[in-house]
Amino acid sequence: MIKPITILVAALGGEGGGVLADWLIGAADAHDFPVQSTSIPGVAQRTGATTYYIEIYPVPRSELGGRKPVFSLTPNPGDIDVAVASELVEAARIVQGGFSHPRRTAMIGSTHREYAVSEKMAMADGRYQPQKALDALRAMARSCVLFDMREVAWRNGTVINTVMFGAMAGTGVLPVSRASCEAAIRASGKAVDASLKGFAAGYSMAKERQLSLADGPGAGILPAALHDVIRAGAELTTDYQDERYAQEYRTIVESLRHLELDAGGGPAECPVTREAARFLALWMSYEDVIRVADLKTRSTRLERIRKEVSAGSEDVIKLTEFLKPGLDEMLSVLPPKLAYWVARRKVLTHKSLNAGLYIRTDTVSGFMVLCALRSLRRLRRHTSRFRNEHDLIVRWLDAIRRLLATRNLSQAAYELALSGNLVKGYGQTHARGRKNLQAILADIDGQNLNLTDGLAARIKLAGRLAERIKLAREAALADPEGHELAQALGLPAPEPAFKPIKFVRNKRAA
Amino acid sequence: MERSFQAEVRSLSLGKGEVFRGEGILAVTKALLQSGVSYIGGYQGAPVSHLIDVLGDARDMLDELGIYFENSASEAGAAAMLGASINHPVRGAVTWKSTVGTNVASDALSNLASAGVIGGAVVVLGEDYGEGSSIIQERTHAFAMKSQMWLLDPRPNLTSIVDAVEQSFELSEATNTPVMLQLRIRACHVHGEFICKDNRAPAISRKHLIEDAKFDYGKICLPPSTYAHEKQKIEQRWPAALSFIREHRLNETFEGSSTQSVGVILQGGLYNGVLRALQQLGLADAFGDSRLPLQVLNVVYPLVPDEIVAFCKGKTDVLIVEEGQPNYIEDAIESILRKNNVLARVFGKSVLPMAGEYTGEVLLRGITRFLETTKPEGVDLQHATDVSSDLTGLKNTAADLLDGAVPNRPPGFCVGCPERPVFSAVKLVQRKLGQIHVSADIGCHTFGTLPPFNIGSTVLGYGLGLASSSGIAPLMNSRVVSIMGDGGFWHNGFTSGVINAIHNKHDSVLLIMKNGYTSATGTQNIPSSIKTGETAPLPLDISRALRSVGVDWVKTVTSYKVSQMADALTDAMTTGKPGLKVIIADGECQLERQRRIKPVNAKRLKQGKRVVRTRFGIDDDVCTGDHSCIRLSGCPSLTIKPNPSALRTDPVATVNQNCVGCGLCGEVSHAAVLCPSFYKVDVIQNPTLGERMLARIRAFVIDRLAGSRSLSRAV
Repeated sequence: MIKPITILVAALGGEGGGVLADWLIGAADAHDFPVQSTSIPGVAQRTGATTYYIEIYPVPRSELGGRKPVFSLTPNPGDIDVAVASELVEAARIVQGGFSHPRRTAMIGSTHREYAVSEKMAMADGRYQPQKALDALRAMARSCVLFDMREVAWRNGTVINTVMFGAMAGTGVLPVSRASCEAAIRASGKAVDASLKGFAAGYSMAKERQLSLADGPGAGILPAALHDVIRAGAELTTDYQDERYAQEYRTIVESLRHLELDAGGGPAECPVTREAARFLALWMSYEDVIRVADLKTRSTRLERIRKEVSAGSEDVIKLTEFLKPGLDEMLSVLPPKLAYWVARRKVLTHKSLNAGLYIRTDTVSGFMVLCALRSLRRLRRHTSRFRNEHDLIVRWLDAIRRLLATRNLSQAAYELALSGNLVKGYGQTHARGRKNLQAILADIDGQNLNLTDGLAARIKLAGRLAERIKLAREAALADPEGHELAQALGLPAPEPAFKPIKFVRNKRAA
Repeated sequence: MERSFQAEVRSLSLGKGEVFRGEGILAVTKALLQSGVSYIGGYQGAPVSHLIDVLGDARDMLDELGIYFENSASEAGAAAMLGASINHPVRGAVTWKSTVGTNVASDALSNLASAGVIGGAVVVLGEDYGEGSSIIQERTHAFAMKSQMWLLDPRPNLTSIVDAVEQSFELSEATNTPVMLQLRIRACHVHGEFICKDNRAPAISRKHLIEDAKFDYGKICLPPSTYAHEKQKIEQRWPAALSFIREHRLNETFEGSSTQSVGVILQGGLYNGVLRALQQLGLADAFGDSRLPLQVLNVVYPLVPDEIVAFCKGKTDVLIVEEGQPNYIEDAIESILRKNNVLARVFGKSVLPMAGEYTGEVLLRGITRFLETTKPEGVDLQHATDVSSDLTGLKNTAADLLDGAVPNRPPGFCVGCPERPVFSAVKLVQRKLGQIHVSADIGCHTFGTLPPFNIGSTVLGYGLGLASSSGIAPLMNSRVVSIMGDGGFWHNGFTSGVINAIHNKHDSVLLIMKNGYTSATGTQNIPSSIKTGETAPLPLDISRALRSVGVDWVKTVTSYKVSQMADALTDAMTTGKPGLKVIIADGECQLERQRRIKPVNAKRLKQGKRVVRTRFGIDDDVCTGDHSCIRLSGCPSLTIKPNPSALRTDPVATVNQNCVGCGLCGEVSHAAVLCPSFYKVDVIQNPTLGERMLARIRAFVIDRLAGSRSLSRAV
């Protein structure tokens, strides 16, 4: 018994999944095959995940003697011949739905990621681990053709659906010919040349993939080894300030490494030092107005931007920077004493004095403003911000050292080193990060580390402390208001920044 | 309008014997024209928007046939339109999105069903139940039962659907009863084919007008006529319906080829799903030859008792496949069989889930359980069980491999949506004033309740944002904010919300999202749409409407100006002035705007004329990966990418190719004092000579000022 060929298309709103379904219908019609498609658009088309479902009966109508196949309107479990997805997680979602069968389904998917809101809004790294999806795809499909279709689409100046269509045809799992696919694209009459180019690219990529089987995308980023981190850190600190600054950085890291080696037990990789070195370099290169001005006046930047916005060589670009330095930023470049004096004047700090600046860096005057700010770099060591940051850096490093020096506490030291990631960003974000790290440091200070009890008690304490720091760090990154951190450390909930408003009661109610 | 439907309009004019190829809802539209309707109305909503959109573009054809068409002000208005068929033999059809639409229409529907019709009156309902649905999950069935309207649920192929439309009119006329035709969302969007008939010009139409008005107290919903109506429903209309359904064979029986001991009774709309499950179990072939007998109810209300009895007689067990709850059909069949002493056991919700969509997997499991329990002769039970457990086990295997669910991807605001910045502003205001109670509404802006905003405590119905605040506002110690779209404003929000608030002297804040269209349903025009066309030639003005009913505090703020919006909101929340305070957030729907602008710009570019394109960007090395901007903006084009730095582990924010340069990123980073990594680029294509010269000079100087340091990223 001949069964219908079932095709499940998973795409995101705006990627042309509906057009792809229409092309498939057109191609099937060209062969006079009975065909049906359904979809769930509605609100799903507004950026959500959407699916299109097509069934083709691979026998011409003329040979069916008036009989009509009954097509399903929904994809059934394990009943998919061709699954095609415009994105990695969407491919995984097909597998998750139980639609892909290891003995039946040909999986064709793009390996790039379009991040979901839940992944994007995390305060640190909330990304889904792609490897899990890739492993599941390979296990749950008869064959897999996976490559970065978005990139291929960009390269060919087209939309991803053309590449998906080409890849399906190239894999040889469709019951229709290449010529009828291309005819369907031509018949749709819109952006035909670009679409055909995308189709051809997808077609040949799929053919290639099938031969090579080497379809691994950029797997997860491997943790950089210690010396790589130190080298990058030294480079960053030099770039940020100067050679001397980098030397200071190296000295600190070197001392940590010795301490960690002395503490023994740790692997030769020195994980505590590696993570501390990573976040130390970033923290030492904290982003102040000087740094921002410096980065925004690099000669390489303009070229990069032109490329990013795909401006042609003849096009003129206007470049507007959105800067909003607040009082804090302005004070931060003053010497400590002066900054302290100004900050105490209530008049000035009463109201937020952030001034929204729109600086046009494509004009000479605008560019020069930033150049002037950039030139303050030589005075940086004398600014109040420099003092503040380094004070806290020293506290953080001291705490790491203390943990490293205490027996069995290297895991806690590792967690604390990772907590260096809390201090980042600008303005309130930065202030919040500092406050969170300070809370964790205060918590460690409050712990009695020098237990004289037996080994078992010490190991128990060590585990508890490491876990406590880890939880606190994760809590600090989990909510911007700091409620979870307070809970993790057993502190009272932070006061909400709440200003009671003058509410005018409904006259009748009063 | 979301797009032009000229191609679809052409397929509406196909003649007898020609093959129509296209979507289900378009086939319904064609079927209406083939049935000789005199008037058509409706209110848009997925999945039936398409019907209204296409007819809006088919004016010429409708004029030629003399058919009147209007895009009704609301579902209530559409239902009331059917009043034309009460006294006159004219066929009319209206459409809306079910449950939510039927609720709005219910007053007119009850009265229509009571008075009865002499011309065929049909309601086409988009039954939006299950996966991908955006509304409350309820059944239309209950409404059909309580008002005595007949409910059709045809098999979801185009031929059956088109036949059902024509039969609906005939059934309606034969029984003096309005008929509802429900189509599930996938059936509305199904792409298939059917053989056309010629379109029929109605006898009474815009070209052949009614000469005399009629009066008949018997059709008026006042006693004693209403008492008579109630009796007519039972004594005349119902029996007439049963004999019509029986004689015209609206329901279909398929004999089973392997067994007669069991059978399946199913809603017509679920036929294809049931058949696919049977195919998977080896109990049907690709063309619908089932090994189990099937009774397909294309009319799900009323049921024809003798048909049910005839089907069930001699069977030991029957399975009722009825989607949704309560299980009206199953209970009714049980009752019919007991009263007629038919012994067949009835299975239904005992093997199928009580609630939720009957997807392929659900049907596969349910039918397998039915077979396992009843063990009918002539069925290879072992094979069916093996297949079923293999297929339904895939999900578990996948779940183990994936180790936790993949991230969800709920719908959200489009790139550049003007409503997003308003929610950013509300979020900023909440930082200062604390949590605010927000009475939300239906529309694209309902997405404000999703992350990253999570704004909106209640959603009570279309246009009911402000009305739904009237209970909570007097009980809250701070002012509450209500949200309403301009679509909802004209639908009913102006009367049920604004006028009510003035009448009852409410002290609260209303945010009106004025984007110019009913965007969530496909950007149909509304009375305040700027473009003229199918609605009023002169757009109505929301702020004038507000002032005319006594709202003194009205501010119009450009949606994208986050700081101004936050200031206006703070002002509204804290001012000493009593009464309703309205902020109109003014910004055109970007989807529609892009559709308008794209062809214009493409043309200018081709002609070598100057075109400015705006995009936003982020400096990777300045971004520190905190993602505050994403939590405040939520734009789909504002996303993340792996950090190019060798040291940083957190992904950086990035603006992708879809950016339309609405400017929200910059506004938010200013208003919220975020980071300085955002920049705006205006790309001037085909610049003037002056611009080119100036740019060259600037580049020369800047090149010399620019820092030569560059951080190598390769480690």
